[in-house]
Amino acid sequence: MMDTLSASLKDALKKLAGKAVVDRAAVDELVKNLQRALLSADVNVKLVMDLSKAIRTRSLDEELPKNTNVREHVLRIVYQELVRLVFATADLKLEPQVILMAGLQGSGKTTTTAKIARYFQKKGMKVGVICADTFRPGAYDQLSTLCAKINVPCFGDPTTTDARKIVREGLVAIKDLEVIIVDTQGRHALEPDLIQEIIDLNVITKASHRWLVIDAALGQQASEQARRFHEAIGIDGVIITKMDGTAKGGGAMSAVAETKSGIVFIGAGETIEDLERFDANGFISRLLGMGDLQALAEKVQEAQASTEIDMDAMMKGHFTLRDMYKQLEALNKMGPLKQIMNMLPMGNMQLPEGVYDVTSTKMVRYRILMDSMTPQELDDPSIISSSRMQRIARGAGGTPEEVRELIKYYKMMHKTLKGLRGAAGGKFNMQRLMKRFSGMQ
Amino acid sequence: MFSGLRDRLQAARNKLSESIGAVAEKAQPKPTVDSVKTSDAEPVMAKNPTLADKVRVLFIERELVVSEKDVSGALGDLEMTLLESDVALPVADALVTDIRTGLVGKHRKIGESVDTLVVKALKSSLLKVLGSGFDLPAYIKTHERPVKILFTGVNGTGKTTTVAKIGAYLKKQGFSVVIGAGDTYRAGAIEQISVHADRLGIKVIEHQTGADPSAVLFDTVQYALAHKIDVVLADTAGRFHTKANLMSQLEKIRRVMKPDLIIYVDEAVAGNDAVVRAAEFDRTIGADAIVLTKADMDSRGGAAISIAHTIGKPLLFLGTGQSYEDIVPFEPGAMVEELLGGGPV
Repeated sequence: MMDTLSASLKDALKKLAGKAVVDRAAVDELVKNLQRALLSADVNVKLVMDLSKAIRTRSLDEELPKNTNVREHVLRIVYQELVRLVFATADLKLEPQVILMAGLQGSGKTTTTAKIARYFQKKGMKVGVICADTFRPGAYDQLSTLCAKINVPCFGDPTTTDARKIVREGLVAIKDLEVIIVDTQGRHALEPDLIQEIIDLNVITKASHRWLVIDAALGQQASEQARRFHEAIGIDGVIITKMDGTAKGGGAMSAVAETKSGIVFIGAGETIEDLERFDANGFISRLLGMGDLQALAEKVQEAQASTEIDMDAMMKGHFTLRDMYKQLEALNKMGPLKQIMNMLPMGNMQLPEGVYDVTSTKMVRYRILMDSMTPQELDDPSIISSSRMQRIARGAGGTPEEVRELIKYYKMMHKTLKGLRGAAGGKFNMQRLMKRFSGMQ
Repeated sequence: MFSGLRDRLQAARNKLSESIGAVAEKAQPKPTVDSVKTSDAEPVMAKNPTLADKVRVLFIERELVVSEKDVSGALGDLEMTLLESDVALPVADALVTDIRTGLVGKHRKIGESVDTLVVKALKSSLLKVLGSGFDLPAYIKTHERPVKILFTGVNGTGKTTTVAKIGAYLKKQGFSVVIGAGDTYRAGAIEQISVHADRLGIKVIEHQTGADPSAVLFDTVQYALAHKIDVVLADTAGRFHTKANLMSQLEKIRRVMKPDLIIYVDEAVAGNDAVVRAAEFDRTIGADAIVLTKADMDSRGGAAISIAHTIGKPLLFLGTGQSYEDIVPFEPGAMVEELLGGGPV
């Protein structure tokens, strides 16, 4: 199901490619497909409507940035709007703190508690866990077994039913530890007694963080539940669990929007190590079922940035190896040289096909060589003597000849840019430029 | 329970009635000029009821034909309603299409209320999806004992709690029950089911954590045979349908204990993924009935519609709270009645 959705999303994007102006019908179709993709990923219906409205307005109203095509422009807007929703990363400091876990029944609080304990333990913190789940049979056994595996002290008392008492005693018993994680019983927003209990626990623990654990499969209910929890104790972070299934985690996105917090961790597996910090790009790619969103969005930005560098350098008549490195780096991210050439303000030069490939493999080598240079050498390549060349070559696992070739390439670029500057007034010396590029082969 | 969905559906029902009603009013005062025109336009017969048809039935047969245009707005709203209630997207699409075909082209007699027409279409579509329910006590009575029931599902949907609740329910119905602690993976799972069973006075067969669940459940069946127990309830560890090795473990369990019923447990709050995983479990292990847990958390209950539509299996029980009595046998007729309110089917 998801595959066909992302396919239709891609189709809609394809229709935008090659258009000179933003086409209203094509944008509408894209927005429609996007809505369907997001709805199938369980994102809150109202959120989807707001989001698609924003994307539609921005796509149609914003001016097309220089050197980008319509498709990239719209895609970047889609990406930015989505990232805006989830990007508020919840802060995570390695300092003494008390973390209160909250969530619905069966969302994975206990497993996640142990995973977080492991996370802080690996960062070198002293961690302790309090089991305040006095309701579910076996809850204490589960948590203490998991904690025993990683040698984390676990405080609990399966014989009492008073969570408040356990937490009070627990805080005293393990007060020497730096990070204290309080696991609580699963509850939902329509249980007033339990909501009161977690409000009390929040007061007793003076928790520095109150994290809401959300099952990736949670549907439209996520917003409502998150809102109630937020009202009760002020959620400042969301953890998505069970991301190893096929669920997309759109519910968690709604929860984040509702609590105005960020996603702290993602749980994706049954072992204690299966906890990851949140990565907005990966999350959105999964949400939409297409992997190349970030790359494409970045490409546009890089393309804009790299032309800026060019212009700067040209105007100042100052071009160092560093600038060249930046260019090569941008180039590496953007893919084949051919595309870059189309983006540069020189117009579409028709170079023979083979030229590009050879050049791009060389460029990778050049980058490696430059990685072995000192800052001084990058700023002022003229100081590179033959002994420096030896050192650079050895550092990069290459030969001094390669370094020499790099310097030659740099000088050529330098001259080319000077040439461009000389021809200021809008007339680029195309022939000379082409000759120089092909001369490199 | 499901009050949210009920309110929304009733709003949609009213909207549909209104839009059809509005068309009816508009169509009625039109004079005979139209009917003259219609005779010329007669050969143009589109799929939708043409004006000619409408006018003819209005004036000759004294009926009204519902056209696609009349209901498209209201149906769009209905689709949004279903989506907001966690009915998965493909299922919502299918339902709306079904309702549309149920409505469009229908001849409404002047005497008949618009409301009746709409309710009829909604009810028949929902009933088609929800199936006929499943009577577990009757099933046990008519089958050879012990009746072996295997519970499956992804992590954290409430399998262990459901096993305890069904155990309590069957015990109250006068059946003898034994539980097999087949979740040997999750820490604390065996303790959890033992405590439940102790409280309920039900025998549990258990091995230690890490043991082969097939062996535990085989022993449970042997115990039931030896002691002439009526029902075997087999708990298993939660697993994701994407984990091939865990799914093949489940297949081995099925091979070894040969269950009479496989019950798939999922939660009422699950979103679109409910459809994906229900289909996958049904495909690999099979499922004879569904239990939907955590129905008290949520007044929407769309997952019930989604899952039932996807795997076409009856809903057995709804879990509606944390105590052992919080389990309700599912009756589709009653639920549809509750969702849509009165009116004859």
